[in-house]
Amino acid sequence: MSDIASIERPEIAKSGMGRLFEGQTAIDFVGRRKIGAAISAVLIVATVISLFAQGLNLGIDFEGGVSWDVPATNGFTVDDASAILIENGLSTEGARLQKRSSDSGDFIKVQVGNQTERVGAELRQEFAAAAGVPVDEVNVNLVSSSWGSEITSKALRALLVFLAVVAIFISLRFEWRMALAAIIAMVHDVLISVGIYSIFQFIVTPPTVIAFLTILGYSLYDTIVVFDRVKENEARFATQKPPYDDILNVSMNQVLMRSINTSFSSVVPVISLLLIGAGVMGQSTLAEFAMALLIGMLTGAYSSIFVAAPLLGILKKRDKNWSSRKIDRAVGEVLRDMVIGGVIGSRRTRAAAAGLADSTVAHGVAPSRLDEVGQAKVALSHPPRPRKKKRR
Amino acid sequence: MKKSALWVTLIGFVGLITGLVGLNIGLGNTPVLGLDLKGGLSVIYATTEPADAEQLIIVRDLMRGQLESFGIAEPDVRVEGENIIVDLPGVSDQEAAFEALQVSGIVTLRPVIQCQAGVVTPVDSVPTVSDGSDPSSQSDPTATTPSVTTPSATTPGTTEEGALGAPAKSVRPLGFANPARVTPSTSVPSDTSPDTSVAGPPAPDTTVPVATPAAPASDQTILPYPGAGQSCLVGVSGGTGEVFVQGSASAAIDQRTGQWVVNVDLRSDGQAVWNSLAQICYSGTPECPSRQLAIVLDDVIQSAPVVQTPDFPGSVQISGSFDETEVRSLARVLNRGAFPVPVEQQRVETVSATAGKDSLNAAIISGLIGVAVMLAFMIAYYRRLSVVILAGLVVWGMTVFSLAVFVSRATNYALTLAGVTGIIVAVGVTVDTYVVFFERLKDEVRHGRSMRNAAPRSFKATWRTILSADLISLMASMILFALSVGSVKGFALYLGLTTICDLLVFYFFTRPAVYLLADTKWFDDDKRPSTVRTPAGVSS
Repeated sequence: MSDIASIERPEIAKSGMGRLFEGQTAIDFVGRRKIGAAISAVLIVATVISLFAQGLNLGIDFEGGVSWDVPATNGFTVDDASAILIENGLSTEGARLQKRSSDSGDFIKVQVGNQTERVGAELRQEFAAAAGVPVDEVNVNLVSSSWGSEITSKALRALLVFLAVVAIFISLRFEWRMALAAIIAMVHDVLISVGIYSIFQFIVTPPTVIAFLTILGYSLYDTIVVFDRVKENEARFATQKPPYDDILNVSMNQVLMRSINTSFSSVVPVISLLLIGAGVMGQSTLAEFAMALLIGMLTGAYSSIFVAAPLLGILKKRDKNWSSRKIDRAVGEVLRDMVIGGVIGSRRTRAAAAGLADSTVAHGVAPSRLDEVGQAKVALSHPPRPRKKKRR
Repeated sequence: MKKSALWVTLIGFVGLITGLVGLNIGLGNTPVLGLDLKGGLSVIYATTEPADAEQLIIVRDLMRGQLESFGIAEPDVRVEGENIIVDLPGVSDQEAAFEALQVSGIVTLRPVIQCQAGVVTPVDSVPTVSDGSDPSSQSDPTATTPSVTTPSATTPGTTEEGALGAPAKSVRPLGFANPARVTPSTSVPSDTSPDTSVAGPPAPDTTVPVATPAAPASDQTILPYPGAGQSCLVGVSGGTGEVFVQGSASAAIDQRTGQWVVNVDLRSDGQAVWNSLAQICYSGTPECPSRQLAIVLDDVIQSAPVVQTPDFPGSVQISGSFDETEVRSLARVLNRGAFPVPVEQQRVETVSATAGKDSLNAAIISGLIGVAVMLAFMIAYYRRLSVVILAGLVVWGMTVFSLAVFVSRATNYALTLAGVTGIIVAVGVTVDTYVVFFERLKDEVRHGRSMRNAAPRSFKATWRTILSADLISLMASMILFALSVGSVKGFALYLGLTTICDLLVFYFFTRPAVYLLADTKWFDDDKRPSTVRTPAGVSS
């Protein structure tokens, strides 16, 4: 018996990395969901506190105002800029003056509150004259204060419509519980991203909003890939009536490498935008965009595994089809066999396995479960044909 | 699937895309860059009161005409939702364009009760408004009285932009020559009765300003009149710039006097409004004791001519000792006054050409470096399979390029920085398609299938996943596109485009390529180690 098993069961890689590459991981995600919940809870509490305490650092697009980018050539300094502001009777109180650098040299960013376009145009000329550059080299940005609220309300409206459409789509394609879990995970991601912006007081600009909206897409995309596997495994294991936790654990272990690969391949170009484009080449617009994307991608990858899937498990347990399955979830090597074999033992054999593995301590590793769990099936890559319920 | 069909799909698709790219390169077509990449000026306007689509289109056309009158070729003016967006990429003279877009409001016509010199004001005389309605038919009434209108039918207006080409008709030569500025006055020549056109009693030629204006009544306000260095107490608005024919105002030189004048036509339904105002002012009623009618834009008096006649048959001429700039700006104000709804600048952004180029370069260079690092990882991880990723990304890039060329040319949505970053980010998503596919393939092979057998099975499962996930992205971009403004819209468009490219390439390139490769020995050997110990392509 064990002879068969050892032939059919591939050798398990020794190192964690090796197991990851081989798709042989057996991480009990469901058992660790409390860790995920704790991390998320801490982050969300921090977000809420920070939002109330210091709010968001909104750029002029949301508050209204005028900003000028004056090339810092010919010794033009922040002090010169503030002198010009004072000369023109503008308060330097709420003004932001910053020296920034870019590929083509340093420039001074001057930002003041709501002003008329006339002021924008006049000061542009003054700044250009003071810095000794052609007027066209001075960039002006002018935003009315109502504009910010308008784009914010438009973004919110877009968000609500999007939520509704996505909920319907996932409910049709998968099921409503998945829709709910996916949307909660998405909201979680946006909340945490906003929180990070608030905590570190990164400036929120229209590119940031675009990036946040992209995050929504990512978060869902990631979650859909996981849920798609869950759904597939649900069907595959339908006859074996395993607890839902098993299906979740197996699915997540099976897509783990993909999640890591994908996150890596998406994050690397963004990090490059951030480090090289914004850092080395000094394009701050890229930073605004890339920072939000990076945060969103990381939370998106995290939430699809640690938020969406556990939530789905909780929702599913309330469903009586699944809540009736009282068997404890498999862990350790039993789980590994399921992940590798793509097969979950039948209820009877599972119970036997659970007995061996000491069902009270779910985390214990069962010593020699292979033969008991009907692992002859492990070698099969497809599920056994479901028993026919009815005669034709 | 038959091998031949796979070849046809593969070669057909790659051929098509290569052909498109070749065609575009051959024709020198590149994606139209947005102004944040190219440098330029962008202004977003919103109406201050609810407007319907038709009104927005009128405003858009007026704005476009106005920009063109400033010498800006092909300004990109468009209506997006309830906003009007003006993009002037690569505009050479940003200052002029900025100036052209400054004023935004609506013109009102208000009777002047009293004007008072501002602090150090030079006192000016009064320009006149005269009717320029029907130039050619006018008999020459007159040159006798100073305020008389003179038809000079033979000579068209000389300004290039004088859309009317109408001869300057009447002028009220002012009695005194010295003052630099003159308050306008209005006079009417009527074709029918030349005599009456002499109508106007000479305007109070001397200094109009009187003592302190009385405290304004509730419907009266004091408005600045910078052109004359005065501030005036004006009555309630009696009409708007809508009384004028849209875009009909033009600057011209009066042939008789050699002075700059503004001619503007009255709309048939605006004529009554204008004439009733003219009547009030002409007769110097208490509402308009000064006999001046102020043309007000954004609570600033642009001109306050003395009305020379109570009855204007079809057009109006404003004269005075203007210089060319003043006349043109007044003509512009009158044209702009024809906006059916007032608009307001919401967002103005200028980007210098160098800054735009820097952003583009930074995005492209850092993007390429990032993608290269990511690909290096993919090659190390997937080994021979990564050939498909590399080739697939090239095909994907070509598809995105062709579509970007097409879309940016066919629509108003130029490729902006947000779009470029979106595309770079989309590379990550596209690679994910391969990751999902290949991880699945690895699974199948681990389970003992041959590559040849595993490829179609994994494709089917992956296609389902990718379709669901990409449809969500596509919906996100469509909703964003429909409901957002400005740069977000452009971004959404390119996000949607890249998603479609992803699906196209996956189905028409990756699928046949992997099926065909799976059949080769080179590939299969790599994928099916005897012990199933090694994952796809990672040699132990």
